[in-house]
Amino acid sequence: MALLHKLQNGIHFPKLCGIQDAAQCFLLGSVFTGYPSRLYSSIKKTEAASGTSSPEGKTHGGLEKQTKGEVGVDLISPKEKIEINFDKAIRAEIKDHFKVLMKELVGRWIGPEGRPLHEILLENTRVMWQFRSNEDLDKWLVTSDRTIGGRSKAFLKMASNNQSALFYGILNTEPPHDGETQRSGYCAMTSRIPRGAFERKKCYDWSNFNTLYLRVRGDGRPWMVNIKTDTNLIHKSHHLYSYFMYTRGGPYWQEVKIPFSKFFFSNKGRIQDDQHPFLTDQISSVGFTLADKVNGPFYLEIDFIGVFHDPTHTEEFAYEDSKKICGNL
Amino acid sequence: MSPYVTTILTLSLFIGTCLTIFSEHWFTAWMGLEINTLAIIPMMTTPKNPRATEAATKYFLTQSTASMVMMFAIIYNAWSTNQWTLMQLSDNWASIAMTLALAIKLGLAPFHFWVPEVTQGIPLLTGMILLTWQKLAPTAILFQIAPHLNMKILIMLAILSTLVGGWGGLNQTHLRKILAYSSIAHMGWMIIIVQINPTLTILSLTIYIMATLTMFLTLNLSNVTKIKSLGGLWNKSATTTIIILLTLLSLGGLPPLTGFMPKWLILQELINNNNIMTATLMALSALLNLFFYMRLIYASSLTMFPSTNNSKMQWYNNPTQITMLIPTTTVISSLLLPLTPLFITLS
Repeated sequence: MALLHKLQNGIHFPKLCGIQDAAQCFLLGSVFTGYPSRLYSSIKKTEAASGTSSPEGKTHGGLEKQTKGEVGVDLISPKEKIEINFDKAIRAEIKDHFKVLMKELVGRWIGPEGRPLHEILLENTRVMWQFRSNEDLDKWLVTSDRTIGGRSKAFLKMASNNQSALFYGILNTEPPHDGETQRSGYCAMTSRIPRGAFERKKCYDWSNFNTLYLRVRGDGRPWMVNIKTDTNLIHKSHHLYSYFMYTRGGPYWQEVKIPFSKFFFSNKGRIQDDQHPFLTDQISSVGFTLADKVNGPFYLEIDFIGVFHDPTHTEEFAYEDSKKICGNL
Repeated sequence: MSPYVTTILTLSLFIGTCLTIFSEHWFTAWMGLEINTLAIIPMMTTPKNPRATEAATKYFLTQSTASMVMMFAIIYNAWSTNQWTLMQLSDNWASIAMTLALAIKLGLAPFHFWVPEVTQGIPLLTGMILLTWQKLAPTAILFQIAPHLNMKILIMLAILSTLVGGWGGLNQTHLRKILAYSSIAHMGWMIIIVQINPTLTILSLTIYIMATLTMFLTLNLSNVTKIKSLGGLWNKSATTTIIILLTLLSLGGLPPLTGFMPKWLILQELINNNNIMTATLMALSALLNLFFYMRLIYASSLTMFPSTNNSKMQWYNNPTQITMLIPTTTVISSLLLPLTPLFITLS
C-alpha cells in the first residue's frame, strides 16, 4: 500500500533509488514483500523511541500482553500519535536486508549454514522450532477452511509460562454454501518458508537426519504432519509428504518420532499410487493439519520440533515402489 | 529402464556427439546437440521422484534456450555472410550470440545456475554423463570457431566461472553439487585459453573428464552422495579413500599430479600473451576449489569419523561390483605429469 502511494506521488523514490523513472521501481516491488507488516513494526518502533506510549497502555499492560500473545491485530490507543514515515521504513528494510546478506557472506567463510563443517558432520540432533516467545510464533502461519468459505476457527498463541505454543480453535465441517464445495473442515499451522537476504527462498537440509521428533500434548485427535520440499516449479507446489500423528490427550507430554521413511506422497490432497521416499536435502516447511471430520474444539500444544538421526532405523522406504511387484504403478 | 531403451539412448548420445564433432555444416552440428539433449532427458527421469523430473525440466529449458540462441546466431551469420560452414562465423554479432549459447550449454557463469540443481537431482552415473560426455560437443564447436570469438567476452566468462565455481562450492555438503561447481570452474579454465591455444582446451577437457570419471565411478561404487557418508568410507574401503585423495588433489591442480599440467600450461600461455592479471586471478580462484577439495579429503582420508556399525573390517571383504575402469582412470588422472613434453609436442 505504502509502495503504491509512493509510486503515485513519485517524489521520494527517485531520491532514494537515484533513478528518474518511478515506473522502474516496480522491479523493486518484489524486495518489499511483507512490507506492510514491517512498516507497522517501524511505526511501533517509532512510538517506543519517542516514548509516546499512553498511560492507559501501561495500566492495561497485562491485558495488552495477553492480546499481543495471539497472532492477530494489536490494538493501539487512538490518543497515541501514529507517525508514518515510509522513507524511514524503506531505508530500515533495505538496511536489514544488507545486514542479513553480510551475515550470509561471513557465514559462508565459516562453513555450511554458517557453522563449521565438523559441527555439521558430527551433529545427530537438531531442534528446528521451539516456542519460547512471540517471535517464535511469527515463524508459523495459521490457516483454516475460512479461506474457502468454511466456518472453522484456528488460533495460535503462547501457552502458559511461555514454554510451548498452543494451537487451538473450533473445527466445523459444514461446507460453504457456494454450490460447488462438498466437503470442508480443516485447520492447519504451517511453518513459514525460510528466507535469506532480499527475501530469497532458502530450504532446510535434513540429509544428516532420518527421523522427525515432536514433543506435543494433544486432545486425543488424529493430526497429519506434512512436509513440503523446496521446488521452483509451480506444478509441484501441491506435492506433500504426510504422516499421521495420534495424540493421546491428558496431562502428559507425548514424544512423537516419525521416521522420514514413513512419509507418503500426496498431490493436492490425494494420496498417489506411485510412491517414493522424499529427499531430505531441500525441506521447505513442516505443518500440522486437523481434518478428522469431527465438529468441535481442538487444541495441540507443541513444545519443540526437532530432527535426529536414529542409527537403529535402517528402513529406506515403508511403501511399495517396485513396478515388478506392484504392476499398477 | 529396459536394456533396449538404455541401448537406444546411449547410442543416441554417442551419435549426437559424433554428429556435432564431425560436422561442417551448422545445421548438422545443431542437430547433434539436440539429439544429445533429447537422449539424456529420459536417462535423467529414471528415478521416480519429483526431483529428477524437476532436474530434467530445468535441463531441457536451459538447453532449449541455448539451442534457440544458437539457431539465431547461425541464421544471422548465414544472412549476413551467406556462409553455413562451421569455421566461417565471421559476423561479430553472430559470434557473440554463439558464444553465449555455448556458455549456456557448457554451464559457464553467469549461465551456470542450472548445473548444481540438475546434477543434484539426477543419479550419479547420469550426472557423470552430464558433466563429461555432454561437454564434448559444445567444446568441439568452440574449438572450431575459436579464431572468431571475442576475447573480452571469453575472459569475462572465464574469470566469472572460476570465481563462481570456487565460491559456490565452498559450503556444499552434497558431493554432486561440489562436482557441479568444480565443473563450472574447470570450464572457466578451458574457455580462457580457447582463442590463444585451442589445443590446450582439448587437453584440459580430456584431463578434467578423466578425473571426473574417476570421482563419479568411485562415488558410485560406494553409493556415497554426501560428505558425511564419505566420512565412513575408511571403514568400508580404504583404497577408495586413497583414490579420492589422489583424484581430488589432481582436480585441484597440485603437482606432481596430472591435473597440474593443464593449469600450468594455461597460465604459461596467458603470461606469454601478456595476460598477467588474468593469469593471477585464475590462479587465485583455483585456491577456492582446492579448499573444498581439501575438505573432502579431510573427511574421507585424513580423519576417521565415528562409525555406527559394529564391523571395523568391512574393507577386508572383496568388492562385489566391477571396478576395472577405476584403476585405469585413476592412473591417467594422477600419474601423467611426466608426459607433459609429449603433450606440448602434440599441441
